[in-house]
Amino acid sequence: MSRALLEAEGVVRRLGGRRVLDGIGLGVERGQGYVLSGDNGSGKTTLLRILAGLEAADAGVLRLEGEQTPLPRYPDDWRLRVVYVHQHPYLFHTSVAANIAYGLKARGVAREQWLQKVEEAIDWAGLREVVAVPPQKLSGGEKQRVALARAKVLSPQLLLLDEPTANLDADGRRRTLELLPRLFADGVSVLIACHDREIIELSGVRRFHLEDGKLVPLA
Amino acid sequence: MDLLEPTRQAFALLLRGDPELLQIIWLSIWLSVTAILLISPPSIAFGVLLARRRFPGQRALVVLVQALLSFPTVVVGLVLYLLLSRRGPFGSLELLFTPTAIVIGYMVIAFPVLVTFTVSAVQGADPRVFETARSLGASGKRAALTTLSEVRFGIIAAVVTAFGRVISEVGCAIMIGGNIDGLTRNMPTAIALETSKGDFAQGIALGMVLMALALGINVAMAFLQGEGGLK
Repeated sequence: MSRALLEAEGVVRRLGGRRVLDGIGLGVERGQGYVLSGDNGSGKTTLLRILAGLEAADAGVLRLEGEQTPLPRYPDDWRLRVVYVHQHPYLFHTSVAANIAYGLKARGVAREQWLQKVEEAIDWAGLREVVAVPPQKLSGGEKQRVALARAKVLSPQLLLLDEPTANLDADGRRRTLELLPRLFADGVSVLIACHDREIIELSGVRRFHLEDGKLVPLA
Repeated sequence: MDLLEPTRQAFALLLRGDPELLQIIWLSIWLSVTAILLISPPSIAFGVLLARRRFPGQRALVVLVQALLSFPTVVVGLVLYLLLSRRGPFGSLELLFTPTAIVIGYMVIAFPVLVTFTVSAVQGADPRVFETARSLGASGKRAALTTLSEVRFGIIAAVVTAFGRVISEVGCAIMIGGNIDGLTRNMPTAIALETSKGDFAQGIALGMVLMALALGINVAMAFLQGEGGLK
């Protein structure tokens, strides 16, 4: 079986007359971590959102486990397999646990199962001490960890993280950074768009740089 | 004019639980609650649709619904009168001057309030709500319900405002209800009638009940909203 989980070919996105993504080609292997760097406005978020099925591309083809998806259409189960975490994650006005359980409930997972998975995810993300705090009162770092737990608990085939350490204080950044290698260790394919040098230099990840709409592999 | 004596009589009516007064109050609340319960789900669903979907004429439809907000209720009553009167297209249903006719009138009046407030609430929602729900695998319907839940205070405000509008409405209720004692006489129509007869005590008593209801509902809404509503 091919190790390729996701392949992108000729992905084009025009915004305001500019080709933000100019024929992007990308291959994502199972269980591999990737880091996507690039200047502000270089199209990192746009690419992640297209891969997540949240934004339409103007042209291109995506293949997930060999199944071809001519953009801008996505199969119904795309977002069950590819999960995107926003740079500024939105937490629903419920509880931390209900936020983490949201995707599991959307997938129709049985109550006993999601209860157990949520408990495990709370421990995984180190959220036990804030589990009773209303999500809107959490710090930026805690919100980011809830969002990571909420995505990770779904066991996605591909996890797309958009600037996971941006705008976090030192402690929030440190605790978020601790979770990333654990995601790789769990065998989740992860593509991270970021500026953070510490993430870019994580061991074992493959690096790309997005510039002038083109994707350049980095050593 | 001496206001003290009718006010004292109004308090006396309320304190001794005057049966006629209680019947009018009960009928008003029953008609208003029934209308709001019936019209809220389709209006809110329509509001979500208008706020989220893009289709030709969508903007014009929003403007039309907003225009209905300022439509005089007496004209709503006139149109419904013509439709429900014996020679009207729905005359055979014999609904004119019945509580059902008033409920229909209230539903028509509440509809633009509920739709406009819902559109405003959903359009004002953080765009990340729907996207986050979708990216976590929610269906479009589930994501829309999640958005509604996130803007629930706006939706509660819509329902409360619509209730306030219909329970205090007089023009439509008189035209299609007929202000029939014991059948379609509600608080606003009773106030109008008793005042025209010079019997201010009952009018003042009913006016106090209406104001207490308005105050009670708004306090309850502020309480329900908690911190979210008291920013």
